[in-house]
Amino acid sequence: MTVQAALVHEVTAAELGDEPGGKKRRLREKHAGGRKSYGMFWCIVPFLILVFLFSYFPLYGWIYALFDYKPALGLSGSEFVGLQWFEMLVSSPTQMTQIGQVLVNTLAISFLGIATSVLPLVFAVFLNEVRTPWFRNAVQTLTTLPNFISWVLVYMIAFSLFSSTGLVNSILTDSGLITAPIKFLDTDQHVWVTMTLWSIWKGLGWGAIIYLAAIAGIDQSLYESARIDGAGRFQTMWYITIPQLMPTYLVLLLLSVANLLNNGMEQYFVFQNAFNKEHIQVLDLYVYNIGITGNSLSMATAIGMLKSVISVILLFTVNTIAKRVRGTSIV
Amino acid sequence: MKLKRKVAVTAIALLAAGLLSSCSGGGSTAEKTTTSSFPAKWDKEITIDVFDGLANYMGIQKGWFAKIVKDKFNMKLNIIAPNVAGGGDTLYNTRVAAGNLGDLIITDKGQKLDELVQGGLVMDASSYYPAMTNVATFDKAVDNVNDGKDGIYGFPTQVSSIKPTESSEGLDPTFGPFLRWDLYKEAGYPKISTLEDLLPVLKQMQDLEPTAPNGKKVYALSLFKDWDGNMMNNAKQPTCFYGYDEMGFVLAKADGSDYQGILDPDGEYMRTLKFFYQANQMGLMDPESTTQNYDTLFSKYQNGQVLFSWWPWLGQSAYNTDANTKAGKGFEIAPLEDMNVFSYGAEAYGGKQVMAIGSKAKDPERIAAFIDWLYSAEGTYANNSQTMGAAGPQGLTWDVASDGKPALTDFGKQVFIDGKGDVPAEWGGGDYTDGASALNVSLVLPNDVDKATGLPFSYKFWPSYQKITSTPLSEDWSAHMDDATSTMDYLAKNNKITVAPGASYTAPADSSEIETLRNQVKAIIVQYSWQMSFAKNQSEFDSLQKELISKATGLGYDKVLKVDMDNAKAQNDARVAVAAAFK
Repeated sequence: MTVQAALVHEVTAAELGDEPGGKKRRLREKHAGGRKSYGMFWCIVPFLILVFLFSYFPLYGWIYALFDYKPALGLSGSEFVGLQWFEMLVSSPTQMTQIGQVLVNTLAISFLGIATSVLPLVFAVFLNEVRTPWFRNAVQTLTTLPNFISWVLVYMIAFSLFSSTGLVNSILTDSGLITAPIKFLDTDQHVWVTMTLWSIWKGLGWGAIIYLAAIAGIDQSLYESARIDGAGRFQTMWYITIPQLMPTYLVLLLLSVANLLNNGMEQYFVFQNAFNKEHIQVLDLYVYNIGITGNSLSMATAIGMLKSVISVILLFTVNTIAKRVRGTSIV
Repeated sequence: MKLKRKVAVTAIALLAAGLLSSCSGGGSTAEKTTTSSFPAKWDKEITIDVFDGLANYMGIQKGWFAKIVKDKFNMKLNIIAPNVAGGGDTLYNTRVAAGNLGDLIITDKGQKLDELVQGGLVMDASSYYPAMTNVATFDKAVDNVNDGKDGIYGFPTQVSSIKPTESSEGLDPTFGPFLRWDLYKEAGYPKISTLEDLLPVLKQMQDLEPTAPNGKKVYALSLFKDWDGNMMNNAKQPTCFYGYDEMGFVLAKADGSDYQGILDPDGEYMRTLKFFYQANQMGLMDPESTTQNYDTLFSKYQNGQVLFSWWPWLGQSAYNTDANTKAGKGFEIAPLEDMNVFSYGAEAYGGKQVMAIGSKAKDPERIAAFIDWLYSAEGTYANNSQTMGAAGPQGLTWDVASDGKPALTDFGKQVFIDGKGDVPAEWGGGDYTDGASALNVSLVLPNDVDKATGLPFSYKFWPSYQKITSTPLSEDWSAHMDDATSTMDYLAKNNKITVAPGASYTAPADSSEIETLRNQVKAIIVQYSWQMSFAKNQSEFDSLQKELISKATGLGYDKVLKVDMDNAKAQNDARVAVAAAFK
């Protein structure tokens, strides 16, 4: 009997508790069911602890937003300032505009990421059609590799290629096409697009792995029957492979929507400079710049809380939409 | 069941307690037995962690300095350098939050030291003080650093017996317009009336030498961003040629005659940004300025790819090698007619940094003895920073000659003039420069006089040294600059220097609100300063300037400026007072 079934059984027994000896039996049932559910409970305890430690315990850190935290003095030695930081955030229109810009950057880069999330799928579908094994393996290895390179190294590559004395500018200047070097890295133009391109370069092969696995799982008889019906290569791709991959794609899409505000900071941190800061500063980077670079840890905590608030709002919005559209919801 | 629950509850409680307790700090109290003299010998070897806010080297100290410390104290120095680790105060904050910054701490006095004392991270060294006989020479400075504290927590750096109204800088000022003298000469020593007049001269020089010996393009100006703080660091430097220095967002004149906010549209800071903008328009600015760091820039100077330097210790130390100066090439100060260079007076009560003993130090007594030794003549010769003319250990690099005056040995000449030399095994071996003290802090100023020799500690002042280092470059420069013997000599003779009396003033800690406002405003100022310097045209420059002022104002610039203005004035009061006290 599962936990749920035991509960149902108990409720029905309680409702029908008019039979003789019902009380005794109920107790016994409860006891038996309880023992089983305890057993199950112990199985999930480690995970509950993990969730508590990594998802709820850090919320304790929010308390730093109410203090004027100085590391040398510790939390107990630091002054309690109440909502001072929140007041500071909202009292200055310039600050609000700045945070607004940061949110726009965050969402824009996230949506560009979601919009391009179809690329790994397309890549996997085409790669799967390559019939020469060594070539396919070579392409897959070469495209997966960038995923293991840290963003710092990616920036080194970008720098040696695109800085004002980098490879690209040297070639262009030497061939006489330009006289002054083009500022690829320190410009505010197309920052969102270039950042998206870099993430695609880094993540394409890695993202394709899961689709390749899914493709391997597609029933071969589907292809066989399609071929008997006279389907060509592109037709099998379009009518069989892609529809079969859709569930996987949708799950991954949902996950990336859930991570809308979490676009990380490493990439933007290494690429940021005075010239592109306005449009590269995403929420995570903004919090880092204020907290670690600016040494205002409490203020950064306050802004970090903002992220959670926005996430909760997003969650409820998506939930309401799901309720309206599908009739079911997650919360 | 009961047992299981108990176990689970206990486990969770322990876990929670462990997590919480790991955050707490706390310090130990030293025993209050007073030490009147240090032991002559230390039996057990120890390695101490030195948290050094100034060090540019991380790891165990090596070479001849390590050997001296080992022989005298049976101790190794493990240097922890936030400068090397990068990331601003991150390393400091994490170590401080963990409750142990290091055994020996070199950090800023004022807010940082006060917090460390309050948080129980540094030790009261009063019980060792009676044995610290060398420090006692600078008793006044020690008192001043520990003023208002209930013990002796910090030991001052950069102390000297020089008057606060005299420059602390020695033969070269900290700031000054230094340019490639050989090209300036080739251009015919054109007259330079003001900062802006430098541009055509630099253009002429750049045209004379468009490519460096390594085939790379030569630029008159090249910038870097590593040291940006309250403002774009490079943009502050030319304001120092006119006697200003920064106090937060304020530029204060050395003699207290003028105070400017850095965003004043007609102020000195904006003037520099315009200067940079014009230089860039004229093709004088290295386009790599926006991305390179100090190290890259330094190697550009070494390769002769840059023609102008804000500081002698950048251009000269990179380019004025023996070979170059003998060929008449090198950086020397240019005579701007209206300049009035800012100079730091000898700090009567010590410089910005202090040394302190960590509250969890392994062997505090030995560390106290080490600190005391650093103030001794022997310690001063060995420890002073390389760029300031540390003469090294007596007997190795220098010795007292037959006339009773100090002179460099053959090995010393090899090291300081040719720039390289392998230390003999009995002195620790290895390359001389690599073995120099990595502490990078002078406890006693190198231009202070050694009573034993009657001359300053720094070899650069010794007549014996000056005699052997005369080169075609220095001779040409001197002939053109009224026969001056050094940069300082020229500036003093021509009344082109203003000494700010060394009052050892430290601004009071910002309130947390001001600090937060400041951090946000300075980020905007730095960002826009760079953009303005590299603006495409005048209208973009103007609109960026407008945007900068409105954004900075919106983020609270005026509030912070008021605090800085008060601090700058208080600093001036302290300067006036110290000048009067040491008359």
